[in-house]
Amino acid sequence: MIMALPLAALPVVIHLVHRNRHQSIPWAATMFLRRANSMNKGMARLRYLMILLARVAAVLALVFAVSRPLVSGKLSVLGMGRPDVTLVVLDRSASMESQDMQAGVSKRSAALTKLVGLLNQRGYGSELVLIDSASDALQELDSLEGLLELPVTQATATSSDIPALLETGLAYLKANEVGRADVWICSDLRAKEWDIEGGRWDSLRNSFREMGGVHQFLLAYGESTPGNISVRLSNVSRRSVGEGAELVMDVHLERDDANDSGDAATDREVFVEIEINAVRTVVEMELNSGQATLLGHRIPLDSSLHSGWGVARIPEDSNPQDNEFYFVFAEAPERKAVVVSEDRGLAAGFRLSLGVPLEPSLRQSAEWIHPSDTDQIDWEDTAMILWQAPLPEGANAEKIRKFVGSGRVVLFFPPQQIQGNRFMGVEWSAWQGVEGESARKLSWWRNDGDLLSHVGNGDPLPLSDLRVDRVCRLNGLPNSAPLTPLARLAEDQILVARMGTDTGGLYFCATLPSAPYSTMERDAIAYYVMLQRALLRGAESLSPTSHIEAGSEQAKALPFADYESVAPVVSAPLPSQRPFTSGVYRQDEAWVAINRSSQEDAAETASGVAVDELFASLPYERIDESIADSSSLASEVWRGFLYLMAGALILEALLCLPSKSALDGVPDRSRATKTRERLA
Amino acid sequence: MLGSVSGRHKSPVKGASLEFAEYRKYVPGDDLRRMDWRAWGRSDRHYIREFEADTNLRLCLIVDTSGSLAFSANGVSKLQLMKSLAGNLAYVAAKQGDAVGLYCAGKGFHTEIRPRRNAAHLRLLLDQLGNMRAEGETGLDQALHVAAESISQRALVVVFSDLLLEPEILRSCFQHLRFRKHDVVVCHLLDQSEVDFEFDRPMRFLDMEGGEPIMADPGSVGRQYRQAANEYLENLATVVRETSVDYQRVNLGDAVGDVLSRLLLGRQVQRQRGSRR
Repeated sequence: MIMALPLAALPVVIHLVHRNRHQSIPWAATMFLRRANSMNKGMARLRYLMILLARVAAVLALVFAVSRPLVSGKLSVLGMGRPDVTLVVLDRSASMESQDMQAGVSKRSAALTKLVGLLNQRGYGSELVLIDSASDALQELDSLEGLLELPVTQATATSSDIPALLETGLAYLKANEVGRADVWICSDLRAKEWDIEGGRWDSLRNSFREMGGVHQFLLAYGESTPGNISVRLSNVSRRSVGEGAELVMDVHLERDDANDSGDAATDREVFVEIEINAVRTVVEMELNSGQATLLGHRIPLDSSLHSGWGVARIPEDSNPQDNEFYFVFAEAPERKAVVVSEDRGLAAGFRLSLGVPLEPSLRQSAEWIHPSDTDQIDWEDTAMILWQAPLPEGANAEKIRKFVGSGRVVLFFPPQQIQGNRFMGVEWSAWQGVEGESARKLSWWRNDGDLLSHVGNGDPLPLSDLRVDRVCRLNGLPNSAPLTPLARLAEDQILVARMGTDTGGLYFCATLPSAPYSTMERDAIAYYVMLQRALLRGAESLSPTSHIEAGSEQAKALPFADYESVAPVVSAPLPSQRPFTSGVYRQDEAWVAINRSSQEDAAETASGVAVDELFASLPYERIDESIADSSSLASEVWRGFLYLMAGALILEALLCLPSKSALDGVPDRSRATKTRERLA
Repeated sequence: MLGSVSGRHKSPVKGASLEFAEYRKYVPGDDLRRMDWRAWGRSDRHYIREFEADTNLRLCLIVDTSGSLAFSANGVSKLQLMKSLAGNLAYVAAKQGDAVGLYCAGKGFHTEIRPRRNAAHLRLLLDQLGNMRAEGETGLDQALHVAAESISQRALVVVFSDLLLEPEILRSCFQHLRFRKHDVVVCHLLDQSEVDFEFDRPMRFLDMEGGEPIMADPGSVGRQYRQAANEYLENLATVVRETSVDYQRVNLGDAVGDVLSRLLLGRQVQRQRGSRR
């Protein structure tokens, strides 16, 4: 661009050359001409000067616009020196695959193309390092072209964690003691991925500030995709029905702008195609405020089909990554539950509720074990433990942690005699009676998910009839994992809660099911459903099928070398990219379906201003881009230069227009020609 | 015309020609031979008869030879037209037996031929006119002042020039000539194209009197040019009116005969009006 700056002198040179190219004519009455010039001198000079300036400005603006050394809105970037190292933090999450429907270019692809163009002009120093969000690993690249071609920059179904990626980048810069570095972040500003409220940003900001010499650039593709719909399945299970079988699943649809507007006018019917063994069925679902859920959808299966896979599809929209959802199924194994209780009577009630399956085709069993005989528990094949005894400590506590860590469920009921044991930072307090009719009833319970959610047809569980007479408060210590209430009595007394765990489930119920504690057993429906659901959740981890999220630790730990890639059949991902892309894999009777992270269905986008604040007091530029603009010359500021050029040319044209008074005196062209001929 | 010898031209003073001019009252000292006795008999009043006095003519031609006289239009330059007009006028005057002189008003006033009456003088004068070239700056104002001083007797002074001088400068020149009792006629050689300034594109105007070239865009200065030209002509008209100078504007397209006719007939009409007054 600097090389092209002398072009700004072009209008002046042309002006000077043009002066000498005017036709010369001998003139006697120069006296009048001098007088006319002196009358016109001030304004005419100013006008000529302004015309010249306008032309110079137009050329300069054109040079700036065409050269586009950087698409930043800040010209200060132009003056910056080249970095020693350039870090590229690439958001490869599924949401980055949102496309401009006309151009067919995804945000990720547009960002990479734009970035290569920018780095080609700016230079990237001696090292170019890529940190991709899927693997969170550093990779040194030989050339810029690698950004466009390498598998580690291609589409994935993962979600990203931008602060974590920056922490990785920071660690690299510190380890290599880099002097000057550019960090280019390519992202679509998804709120959950940026974790704006998270505590990591303070330390990140301080670390970068202390380090110095690091300039952050954010290539932001924050535009929303309002019409995009995502499909997701859950609770996929195979059941035997008489001589045949069927597949049961919950189908969820969500439009990206569901949380923003919920505009009923944009709701429409969506046809969901479910393909199993090359047989397709279509379900029509109607969006309501941008969302639709179909619980317990049943698809008949051939009874000989004991396991398999399938895929649910919706019509193409702006993001192909969330238009498909793979699922796998297999014949359910026996669901084993263990009841650990000191009280034989109570244990019998628990066994009765857990031993009777919801459906006759299911095989279920419940075994009673005294707390002193926990060595007899079959930790491998048990799906759920109901622990109505003092909270486990020592070896038992460790076993239960592993049990839950493997995806299974433990449901704690308080013992009749409280002993002050602690487990994972919680303890039972003393039993206390509940006074008053209203206090005995549930004031709230979570009905949209987990153990107490509505049943398949949308009806709520009959929990309003439940009465609790005695309750055992659950005390959480400061270092305990957070407890999520699932049901509350009046005065915010927690009745059922879930402790946050990465896998499996840890539930606590603050009363006992029988008199004189509560009417759970008497009003058995809700109680029975709660236990059955806990057992089902635990049994899922023992199932030969598993549904895992792309990019999760489970996916990364999967030995793909031992698995056969089943889907997608066309354009199967490279082995190194399988943990990050959607697909179905099989090893003998074990089936794995990998799908995009559920976080990717949350379309909430962080505002540019909010993101800017994360980099406050750091050298930072945000460059707002749009996929529709990727082929255009420049981003907003460069369009500004084009506008400036157009403005300068318009001003020049206006200044060149003769004034009205001058027009009145302008000679007739033919007469002027005749004059020149007469004088020639 | 006030001459030193009798001739064909009417003198501004009354003399002894055959043409009756007017009566006037007798005042003591008048020549009694010019008393109209018949009038005394009819009216018992004393009147003196006056007659027009005929005199000869001294014609002084002052021609501007500055570079601007080279300006031409339609293939005719101001200098050519001026030579034709001055030559014809000199010839007519000489044939009538009048004395003709020539003063060239170039920078430095380099040619001066005093009025004489013989045929050889006419040839010299015409040769001088023929060899005249337009160059350099104008010296008209100096030439007019010098002529006013050097022409000793009353004369008819005919000035040929484009008068590209400030009207106030010309005013002093004309006043000087008039103060010396000369009869002054000005032939202003200014083409209409120089007033109209009809050009449609920017041009470089070369000063014919040697000044700096001027770049001008007629689109932006045309109006001011025409305004300046018209102001100049108005001021010049005021000057010639106030100094009682005969003025003839001559375009380059005008025929020589027409210009001379206008010049001579115009003067005759003017004199008749003057005599009636």
